[in-house]
Amino acid sequence: MFRLSGTNHLLGHRLWIRDFPKPTNEIHIPYLIVGGGISGLSAARQFHKKGISDFILLELEGHLGGNSSNGENQYSKFPLGAHYLPLPNLKDKELLQFLEEEKIILSYDQKGFPVFDELQLSFAPDERLFYKNNWQDGVVPKEGNSKEEDLEFQRFFRQMDAFREGKGNDEKFLFDIPLYLSSEDIAIRNLDKITMKKWFENNNFKTKPLFDYIDYCCKDDFGLGIEYVSAWAGIHYFAARKQDATTDKKESVLTWPEGNARLASHLKKYTDGKTLKNHLVYEVRVENHKVIAKAFDDVKKVSVEIIADKVIMATPQFVNQYLIKDRKEFTKGFHYTPWLLASLTVTNLSDNFSFPLSWDNVIYEAKGLGYVYDQHQSLNQVQEKKVITYYYSFSSADLRKSRKELYKKSKDYWKQFVFDDLKIAHPDIEDCTEQMEVFLLGHGMVSPVPGFIFGEAKKEASKNIQNAIYFAHTDLSGISIFEEAFHHGINVVNQILDDTALDS
Amino acid sequence: MGKKFLRFEFLLLFAVFIIATCGLVYELVAGTLASYLLGDSVKQFSFIIGVYLFSMGIGSFFSKFFHKNLLNTFVEIEILVGLIGGLSSVILFLLFESVEYFQFILYLLVFITGFLVGLEIPLLMNILKDKVEFRDLVSNVFTFDYIGALLASILFPLILIPKLGIMGTSLFFGMINVSIAIALCFLLKRELKNSYFLKTKAIFSFAVLLGVFIFSDKILDYSEGKLYGENIIYTNSTQYQRIVLTHNKSDYRLYLNNNLQFSSADEYRYHEALVHPAMSIAKNVKHVLVLGGGDGLAVREILKYKEVQKITLVDLDQGMTKLFKTNKVLTDFNKGALNNPKVTVINTDAYIWAKSCKEKFDVVIIDFPDPSNYSLGKLYSLNFYQTIKAILETDAAVVIQTTSPYFAPKSFWCINKTVMQVFSQVDAYHAYVPSFGEWGYTIAINGFGTTFNTINRKAPGLKFYNYQFDRFNYFTTDMISNEIEINRLDNQILVRYFDEEWGKLQ
Repeated sequence: MFRLSGTNHLLGHRLWIRDFPKPTNEIHIPYLIVGGGISGLSAARQFHKKGISDFILLELEGHLGGNSSNGENQYSKFPLGAHYLPLPNLKDKELLQFLEEEKIILSYDQKGFPVFDELQLSFAPDERLFYKNNWQDGVVPKEGNSKEEDLEFQRFFRQMDAFREGKGNDEKFLFDIPLYLSSEDIAIRNLDKITMKKWFENNNFKTKPLFDYIDYCCKDDFGLGIEYVSAWAGIHYFAARKQDATTDKKESVLTWPEGNARLASHLKKYTDGKTLKNHLVYEVRVENHKVIAKAFDDVKKVSVEIIADKVIMATPQFVNQYLIKDRKEFTKGFHYTPWLLASLTVTNLSDNFSFPLSWDNVIYEAKGLGYVYDQHQSLNQVQEKKVITYYYSFSSADLRKSRKELYKKSKDYWKQFVFDDLKIAHPDIEDCTEQMEVFLLGHGMVSPVPGFIFGEAKKEASKNIQNAIYFAHTDLSGISIFEEAFHHGINVVNQILDDTALDS
Repeated sequence: MGKKFLRFEFLLLFAVFIIATCGLVYELVAGTLASYLLGDSVKQFSFIIGVYLFSMGIGSFFSKFFHKNLLNTFVEIEILVGLIGGLSSVILFLLFESVEYFQFILYLLVFITGFLVGLEIPLLMNILKDKVEFRDLVSNVFTFDYIGALLASILFPLILIPKLGIMGTSLFFGMINVSIAIALCFLLKRELKNSYFLKTKAIFSFAVLLGVFIFSDKILDYSEGKLYGENIIYTNSTQYQRIVLTHNKSDYRLYLNNNLQFSSADEYRYHEALVHPAMSIAKNVKHVLVLGGGDGLAVREILKYKEVQKITLVDLDQGMTKLFKTNKVLTDFNKGALNNPKVTVINTDAYIWAKSCKEKFDVVIIDFPDPSNYSLGKLYSLNFYQTIKAILETDAAVVIQTTSPYFAPKSFWCINKTVMQVFSQVDAYHAYVPSFGEWGYTIAINGFGTTFNTINRKAPGLKFYNYQFDRFNYFTTDMISNEIEINRLDNQILVRYFDEEWGKLQ
């Protein structure tokens, strides 16, 4: 069985033509959230915390969650996007609070460290790498390296440790999460002007395993590889997580079979009875201090007009440019990497037994980022069938071209593509596969190309419009991670309430 | 005419010789197999010889009802003896799995062979009675009969079993049996009616025996025999594991995935030490839970306490619990414990089951395989013990088999330390089990209403455990390890310790 699906790009693309019926219905509401991804859901939670319940949330898809969505088959749930949350920084009280509310943090120990729920931390063994025809523990190439290669890895990690602990003249961490808390020192910010590859060369790194490892890490977090991604973003991957929430297993992550859809489902409860799904917002404008938003109901095939005091656009900028006027110019500065995910149901995953099946399974020199074993967090001794999710990001200089390729190529092409990539480590994968569901994300995530994170486009796009239309999305950070979305949601609500207090 | 008749007589007497040899070989095969599989060789051999001789008598009795075509009948019986006798060992080996009927089939086969052999001698005498002087006939027939018996009983232990093995021997003699029938068909075709049909039957039977003989290696799986160095009497691959039962002298051993599970010679030490401390310490023992332990040997010990009202056993492998409910040898070991009305067997994943369990227990006996991989390692995690705590009554006792403190001290103390995070009172103890070496357990009490030195009850007739707990919880320096981490699902440090400690022994 083979299925191909993806984000609802057909409905989204109607924004180009704008052939929507005239609104036949009006809704009056003080607060409107557009977009049901983590940013929008987090905003809903923050409204709730501030005692505000008169808001609604509109979502284009038939479900909430955005990139934190999931699929499910008879054997397992599986992610259709983001699939883990690294342990939070101890300083990030908002996030710790949320994790405590949702019983992911169970308590704090005598030394003040959070006690995470064992069942939600990635089980051991968590990572393995297929390198030199063997699976090895961890994703850093280790076994079979030359002396020189080992020394470069050591030097690289020492540098990353220094970046992680380092603070700027403004006493802020050089790299932090959320990203806006990072130091404003110009020397560090200049790293955003070059690619990670350039930084690699400037620092006199030469060896291929290190290059490939950094390339893998960049793609893993940003979709873009070492050649295209900003050096500041590349280093942020290694240095922003302070690894100070535990005394051991510092690089652990929180994960679930359905990926971050678990976190989305915790946030969803704040939108119960306040959500309109399958609603494509196609126009947003300010009129007489009110915001008029028009939306098309894709189920009833009618349009609706929402009149609100404040609107939170928890939507990406490539969408906003079609809804709100005068945004096309700076939106050109936003780049989004397409992604392909494939969930395979396999009868077995036997290999050469060099290291057991892990949560994250990376194949060195493969095109994709390897696969996640979706049942890894199960308590069972045995699984009748195994479900794995393969990840591929279209890292290239021309992402628009890649996006076209993604939709143009046939189903069979992508199926074979996935098989061929996995065959490096599992030669018989094609015979063992019973089902494959390929999921395409045309605009998978924002990609921090050089100059973007501290550039003008982002700054312009973040500005609210007449204290009525506000923006909250990870593309306004420049990196697409849960923490950024979570804080955007909180901050935008706080901002609106502050501004309202000032108004009155 | 005289010369031809001589050949006729000689042929038939040679047939008698072969029948006698083969008959005795089948009998010896049955006796050997029975003592292999069921033990107690004196009893087995005695019964089998008795049944064999008796059934020969029955055969002789019925020979008088045969009047026509005696020669044809003689050849037919020859074929039948070869086929049944030859295949008997294979049939017995294969049927040992469904051992409820095993003894019945064993004696049925012995009876049929004896019966057929018993028919043949009188038949032969009837065939020859008009052609030979009676005095010569009786003397010759019985001479060849007894020579054959002697030959068989000497060849069997000295040459046949060592060279051909038990299955090979019976198949080989089956083929000799049938080839005599084939020879008779060709040489006596004029005297036989419808000799073509007989010939076909005989050759077909020979082919069957030869076919099985060629594959007998596979059936017995010599490679495993070499691996274990003991006689393999039963193998079965369930969905989850390979079960192998071996027998050597009076000792039966059960292996799961090539790991020794128990030896019948000393398993009482392991199981008494596993069960009785917890059973005597716990405040109550009305409802007992056993996790793993699909062999029913722990349940056997638990049943020694009359206070026990209900035992729930959760074992993943249905193949295993079914085997220990039905197999005669194995139910002798566990005294039919799994068939006891107090016992409920649930075949499911223990972790998942415990997570959703609504009942509470007075005693929990945890007898899982050693943590040799990441799947099994989950069953020794902090979260698992928290899950167990949630299904315990106050002052319930929990005991966990925790590998060898001598061979794997880090693993042993890692489990102990992990359990300490969860329970108010925790201790460790160990016992010497010759087939395993020093073996250890972690024991915990869910509360403060009883202590490790409290004896709330005793079971009669134990061979090993004497209810003096403080004689078992002393550890010499070579069995102690410090600086141990707690085993959690996200670090599975225990699997690493275990691999480090047992890995270096191999």
